Amino acid sequence: MEMIEVTANSVDAAISKGLSQLNAAPADVMVEVLEEPNTGLFGFGAREARVRLVLIGQRKAAEPEGYPQDLGEEFDQAYDEPPDQEPATGAITVVADVELDEDATVGVEVLEELLTRMRIDAQININRSDDDEGEDPHWMLNITGKRINRLIGRRGETLASLQHIVRLICSRKLERRANIIIDAEGYKTGRSNRLRGLAKRMAKQAVQQGRTITLEPMQPSERRIIHLTLRDNEDVSTQSVGEGRARKVTIVPN
Amino acid sequence: MEEQLVQYIAENLVSHPDQVRVNRKDTSRNVVLELSVAPGDMGRVIGRNGRVANSIRALLRAMPEQNERGRERRRRVILEIE
Repeated sequence: MEMIEVTANSVDAAISKGLSQLNAAPADVMVEVLEEPNTGLFGFGAREARVRLVLIGQRKAAEPEGYPQDLGEEFDQAYDEPPDQEPATGAITVVADVELDEDATVGVEVLEELLTRMRIDAQININRSDDDEGEDPHWMLNITGKRINRLIGRRGETLASLQHIVRLICSRKLERRANIIIDAEGYKTGRSNRLRGLAKRMAKQAVQQGRTITLEPMQPSERRIIHLTLRDNEDVSTQSVGEGRARKVTIVPN
Repeated sequence: MEEQLVQYIAENLVSHPDQVRVNRKDTSRNVVLELSVAPGDMGRVIGRNGRVANSIRALLRAMPEQNERGRERRRRVILEIE
């Protein structure tokens, strides 16, 4: 995979410079901002912007002369949000502030291929999550942009479909399981916080009322959050009941 | 574009990507996408309990409206696997 690092006095300038060096279109590269520019105090400690571009698409065919000058404009158009009446074109920006491993690189590539074909303009923010509450380390690819809510769907069902397809394709490419989570507008992050709160409140209620509390049907990943949140709670036990889409968590006082 | 999405997904799931075909039929109400793959690959594009096929359908539904000749009306996109 081809990769270059470029410096210039602004991040945008560094990216367009890199694109012309690679002779690639904005959609064909993954951009990693290594260093934000810093003007410094009276010129002391001034730092240029440093970005890394990883070529993930096809290089453009040789262009006639004058191409590099046009690049700045093409770049701006691709990165600016289009006005509402403009049809979405499937322009994707990738933002990562950590080093990507093979899983993440393949994951982003597949997600971009899908979103481009879906004509969805989006930004993909990549984060590594090594936390918490007993979850495995994973890559979180959060999609943001205009009209991204359509990617979430009712109760996150569209998002679950997108993640299912991305993971299937990735694990075929990598020939092993890829720990990738796809989020949109932080839906899952927010949802898991709400679910943890819900789990704790309902556990309290189950104990107070001395009866089993049944939660609404949830996806496997969501049920897992409930189970994990209450795993160390000695006052209650949790169990999933029901089949398929109707499967839900029950909280039983001990 | 709908057919390209289906084509990309199918090609990356099957063992015989060269045998993936997506045929698009436009009517005034519907867009019908007929996906055909090698016989041994059917299971991969359908999935257990149709999960893969239904996921593809969910993504098709999430695509933005297509304005053809200024027409705003949303047509249904139907995915058939044969």
